Amino acid sequence: MKPKVAFFDFASCEGCQLQVVNLEEAILDVLALVDIVSFREAMKEHSDDYDIAIIEGSIARPIDIDRIKKIREQASILITIGACAHLGGVQRLGNQWDAEANKVEVYERHPGSEITKGDSNPYFAQIKHRAVSEIVKVDAAIPGCPIDSNEFGKVLVALLTGKKLPIPDYPVCVECKKNENICVFETGGFCMGPVARAGCGAPCPTHGGECEACRGYVDHPHTQAHGEVLKKYGLSPDDIMTKRTMYNYRDFEDKGGD
Amino acid sequence: MKIISKQDFDAFINALIQDESLDVEGVKAKGDKFVFGPLDTATELRLDYDVTILPPKKYFLPQYETMMHFDISTGKATAPAMDTKKVIVGVHPYDLIAIQQMDKYFFDTNVDDIYLQKRKNSLLIGVMPAKASEKAFYGDLMKNAGTPELHFDLMVTDLGVLYAVLPGTPEGAQLLSRATSRDAQPQEIEAAKNKRQEAIDRATRGLKVGPKAWHSLLSNNYMSSIWKEMADQCLACGSCTLVCPTCFCYDVNDEVGLDLNTGVRTRTWDGCLLRDFTKVAPGEIFREDIVERYRHRINRKGKYLPESMGFVACVGCGRCSSQCVPDIADPVNLINKLAEATMDTIPDTNMGHVPEKSDLGIIASDSLYIPRTATIRRMMKLTKTETFFEIGLDDGQPLGHVPGQFVEVSIYGVGEAPISVSSPPGGNTFQLIVRNVGDLTNKLHSLSEGDKIGIRGPFGTGFDTEGMRGKNILFIGGGLGIVPMRSLIKYVLNNRADYGKVMILYGCKDPSELLFKDEISQWENTPGVEMHRTVDTCAEGENWDGQVGVITTIMPMVTFDPLNTIAVVVGPPIMYRFVNRDLLNMGMPEENIIVSLERRMKCGVGKCGHCQINGIYVCKEGPVFNYKDIKDEPEAFS
Repeated sequence: MKPKVAFFDFASCEGCQLQVVNLEEAILDVLALVDIVSFREAMKEHSDDYDIAIIEGSIARPIDIDRIKKIREQASILITIGACAHLGGVQRLGNQWDAEANKVEVYERHPGSEITKGDSNPYFAQIKHRAVSEIVKVDAAIPGCPIDSNEFGKVLVALLTGKKLPIPDYPVCVECKKNENICVFETGGFCMGPVARAGCGAPCPTHGGECEACRGYVDHPHTQAHGEVLKKYGLSPDDIMTKRTMYNYRDFEDKGGD
Repeated sequence: MKIISKQDFDAFINALIQDESLDVEGVKAKGDKFVFGPLDTATELRLDYDVTILPPKKYFLPQYETMMHFDISTGKATAPAMDTKKVIVGVHPYDLIAIQQMDKYFFDTNVDDIYLQKRKNSLLIGVMPAKASEKAFYGDLMKNAGTPELHFDLMVTDLGVLYAVLPGTPEGAQLLSRATSRDAQPQEIEAAKNKRQEAIDRATRGLKVGPKAWHSLLSNNYMSSIWKEMADQCLACGSCTLVCPTCFCYDVNDEVGLDLNTGVRTRTWDGCLLRDFTKVAPGEIFREDIVERYRHRINRKGKYLPESMGFVACVGCGRCSSQCVPDIADPVNLINKLAEATMDTIPDTNMGHVPEKSDLGIIASDSLYIPRTATIRRMMKLTKTETFFEIGLDDGQPLGHVPGQFVEVSIYGVGEAPISVSSPPGGNTFQLIVRNVGDLTNKLHSLSEGDKIGIRGPFGTGFDTEGMRGKNILFIGGGLGIVPMRSLIKYVLNNRADYGKVMILYGCKDPSELLFKDEISQWENTPGVEMHRTVDTCAEGENWDGQVGVITTIMPMVTFDPLNTIAVVVGPPIMYRFVNRDLLNMGMPEENIIVSLERRMKCGVGKCGHCQINGIYVCKEGPVFNYKDIKDEPEAFS
């Protein structure tokens, strides 16, 4: 019996599910391993009978908490995909304001806001953004914004063969150097690579961008030394904070930041 | 020496590119930097470069390299297909020296056949540097180095409108015969010589201590506060090691396809600055503190490799310092800092940074990495976490080990793990006792009798059973330490007349972890064997007739003449400190204490670099050591 897999989305752009679709012909190999019973981006059918739940998105509303808990009860394995589910996503930056104030800002100052006002409509109720693992137990988190299709395949293989998850605990610099890139700092940019968790293959610096640590930090990031480097290369304290919190506001909150 | 016009040189390179039997790689621009890469046309070639981002090391030990293709269902592995012959154009002399160092390292003792094949399959066209990068200091290193012989097939020197080209091998000369050239005039030979000297002189940065004295300098400054001062700024990003032409460490991984059956075993660059580098399956990290890792890198270059290989593993390319954003990797800066802080005189050794010319005629006897097929003949669960395996090699050969050696157990798709052999030598099977702690051991526990596994080895240096002859033997085993020790205990008991009194002290956490219960009661009842066992803790009501307390509490129970007794101590890292201290207090000479140490032995053959205790490769020189030989290595019992 092949395990039955269902995809679910919470607060997200659904780009990570798109990355699964982007596996293209390799998705046929995935289908030989598992039965996909629910996948909104790729099929019409839906079933609530599943063994593996794949979750995209952050937890943003009271109804999300109930929904994710219900999914957890049904699923024997729960995998999250992407930075939103793993860390809370860029939307977690909203946590620096009160949830109610965010609701007013986003929904209630614009035409057509009658339906969003007050507490009557649960679809618009807000809480502080949370990562999935802050609400329920997560068996495997595939990090990244978006996830890497190949890594999705590798994690699936690891889970099905009982191996440790193939997600490295070294910084993005390792993969960036192997790609023989010119260091982002040398090109005038500011990079989170030295503290960011690798596994993505360093696509951003490889294609002229900067690493933004969308996969979170390594287990023991040398944050202070990295901060000194950012400062040395001319980044202001405010901009350093912006870099550090864009994807990793969770880390900031975990360390007692407010 | 030949002279080629620049136009004819381009035509020569273009002809090589047109030759489909060759893969022509050369230096090209990447932004305002340079890299080695495939050449489409000679006009791409930039022989005026200063330094490339990555060294040409990547052609012989690639960033990601397939070691073998495997098929899990058949249990078969095959070597990857041979690459097209490479011509690598534009290698600077410092990188040629680095390749010579690599040759020496990968050809030493166990010839790395994967490396050798790539190395034999390449031709190197060197070029004298037209300019030096900002951080280069190969000129400093060449002072007092004489004119060492470098291995190249051709060496190009830019004489302005002409190139002087010197063949270094018959293959090089043959390649050169494809070019339109003429013999060099004496003044052109002289000009080329001057260009070489100019190139060297250009790359000097005021290094205060030459490479031949690095060994002394580093030996005297192991405890210097400079290490911490620098390491505090370190990102532990690994960049310095990754771009280094003389960093050879690699990690090995199995990758299985979505068919869950076929896959590849690959190796990829690893680095000693990375936190996981020394991590073993049970979770212990042997160089956890960043300052230990920071210090290790420089010591490996200036002290450890000179000791084991005879060369200083730095060629002055300056890549590490140009890639280090906190700017703490520069060897010139560090060596000068240490030199300024040191009051001692710093004597030269005879070890410089240029090893002798490589011998590419060397032959690899066997595949170093493809395991032999073996069958699990018998399995038995010993405790909650330990299982006994009896293994037979499918070729019917005995393993041929000595007590204390280990094998690499391989399961395709999962990987490899070093496991001590627990049975004495002899017989057509051997025994392993395996604790379920990682991917490989976990998978091994799920197998059944008759299942196939792979075996490489036996590896390492075992116990010196000859040297122990005629002596009393005191075995002190803690936890899983009893596993490799059992091989020696059984050997000694099988050759009882050769040894004096036999005393066995065995301690473990609690009675449920006790291994070999039946054998232990046999040993206890063997005349001439004195055995005591202890557990750290024993729950009330638990069936236990031994002692309670850590292993040192049962040491006073045995009496022996310390001068005529060999103590064999095997256990967890913490145990050695206390047991060895007590043995020395009892009057035992240091050379009578034998230990077996655990580290991350990934390749098993002294190449991947993970198992080092300071400069000592545990997988090769150990895991069994005489305490006297290893005690002064700061990382041995820390």
